[in-house]
Amino acid sequence: MSFTIRKQGEIVVVDVEGQLIVGNRQELKQKVLDELEKGEKRFLIDFSQTGYIDSSGLGVLVSLSKKIREQGGELRLANLNDDLKTLFELTKLDTLFQISDSRERALESF
Amino acid sequence: MKDLQAVLAAFYDATQCPVAVWMGDEKNPAALATAISAGTVLAPDALPETEQGPVATNGGEILTARLAGLKRAWMTMGPCEGGSRPLERNAKLLLPVVNQMLRTGLEMEHTAAELAGRYEEISLLYTISEILGRTVALEEAAKTILTELSQTVGARRGAILLYDRPTTMLYAVAAIGIEQAQLTSIPINDMGSVAARVFRTRHLAIADASESTSEHEAIYSRDTMLAAPIIWTSSTGSLPLGVVILSERETGQPFSAGDQKLVAAIATQIGIAIQNSRLVRASMDQQRLQQEMLLAHDLQMKLLPRPASLSADAEIAARVVPAESVGGDFYHLFRLGNASTGVMIGDVSSHGYRAALIMALTMSAASIHAQIHSDPGAMLGALLGSVRDELTTTEMFVSLFYGVVNRKRSVLNYANTGHPHAFLFAPDGKYERLPALDPPLGMVDEPPHAKSLPWHPRESLLLLFTDGISDARNAKGDKLGEQRVLDAVRKNRKEPVDTILEKVFESLRRFTGRTPLRDDQTLVILRA
Repeated sequence: MSFTIRKQGEIVVVDVEGQLIVGNRQELKQKVLDELEKGEKRFLIDFSQTGYIDSSGLGVLVSLSKKIREQGGELRLANLNDDLKTLFELTKLDTLFQISDSRERALESF
Repeated sequence: MKDLQAVLAAFYDATQCPVAVWMGDEKNPAALATAISAGTVLAPDALPETEQGPVATNGGEILTARLAGLKRAWMTMGPCEGGSRPLERNAKLLLPVVNQMLRTGLEMEHTAAELAGRYEEISLLYTISEILGRTVALEEAAKTILTELSQTVGARRGAILLYDRPTTMLYAVAAIGIEQAQLTSIPINDMGSVAARVFRTRHLAIADASESTSEHEAIYSRDTMLAAPIIWTSSTGSLPLGVVILSERETGQPFSAGDQKLVAAIATQIGIAIQNSRLVRASMDQQRLQQEMLLAHDLQMKLLPRPASLSADAEIAARVVPAESVGGDFYHLFRLGNASTGVMIGDVSSHGYRAALIMALTMSAASIHAQIHSDPGAMLGALLGSVRDELTTTEMFVSLFYGVVNRKRSVLNYANTGHPHAFLFAPDGKYERLPALDPPLGMVDEPPHAKSLPWHPRESLLLLFTDGISDARNAKGDKLGEQRVLDAVRKNRKEPVDTILEKVFESLRRFTGRTPLRDDQTLVILRA
């Protein structure tokens, strides 16, 4: 489980490897908040290498999205696998995030 | 030296010549203090520089002979009874015998003293093991240990310093010869401190006070100083925990190899005791937490209403199986009057007692709002108002389904904030999902929406469950899936609701076998 943060143009891209769960959600949160504090506004979290997100992981995504919006920024998501996509649809979370099927499309959409 | 005394007495009896063995006084090397003698002996006025020879005394002539191989030890003979001169031949015969006996005697005395010293050390180790064995908090025992240890090695000043991880300092838990107010902590990266170096290198050190240039250490070092690391060693490696410092020896002499070994052994004992006491403390905390969790679990289960209490209005079967002792799943049932029954299923986005508190808060607030708001959307909106602050501060949210069945009006009204598994079964076995109309409670501020669907009194079934059921995995890691749950319900839809619930859990058990639960499992079935 690890998070890689790199900058692509004006956008901070975060790759989540493995799972986003109760045990590592704070690490992701802190990394993104650190970037936000540095003045970054546009964030993309790429889940192409993520198998599972538990409910507390979802909570962190929502809380990050709120905090980024408060700073006038935006958080978008990309590459949710089928299970995660269903989870987002069934829980209506898809209404809270702009979700793209590929990283390229997500980067272009900003 | 009794044997030597007996030999000298026998010689005196035989020759009538007094004989004495003189030994130097360590504290006053010029004087001869101890004498083992037979007959009336005279101390020589002066001892000869040469090995042996006749020396004159005030009382007459005596013979003296230095005892070879011993420091400042002489034998004197004479003057004999009647004033006769002792025979040199006799002296020559007696000298090797006395020499050998004295040497053996002295060696035995030395060995006895050494044994006594060892005995003291063994007794100290025993005492300290005993103190540590019955101590849970090391801090209480540290002072006693230090006092015993410093007395044994003859140090006037000493301290036990332990490592504090957050501040990276060595702080004193016990000290002797130093006022409490004078105690200082030593940073572990202090390059001028001997104790910090010993902690870093994990090697015992003996240093002169001048070697310690740290202001933090000044109070602990006087004359020569011995610092030993307190280490805990396990199969996975060793961990430095602190340092024992001893200084200002009573004798002014440097610490011996024996002292070093002794202090190192005690430091190891202290290390084990520290680790044990920490483990005991952690285990006690764990135990207390488990007891609290057990209590919370009992309370949580008691909060869940008994389906039988609504039997006049509806047939309801409900079960919660928590994965941990305190889970985040719950259900709630409401008797609303006018042939209406309310049913709720929820999942707090976490586990443990904080999730249980949110759950308790949600359930108690829901009991009030359900009686006031007949529209499920309005009820969840009011509920959000009650728990919003708590959800925001804890960063939790609650996925909730709340449905109200009115069998007289044949209608099901529902609101769904992020609950994924809610289904309505028609009498013919066809079912439809009642999808989430809004994201989970606490994620957005907008009031939730509601929707109405036709209901067949006594025939329609409302099926609600949490993802702990559909996501339950078998040993191979495969998920049970929604479909198996839906099939089990459809097949048994005409049975009493308790039977349907049992069938679902049966198929769940068959699928998962002995695989442990990953998440809480909650199922509610309603027919009204």
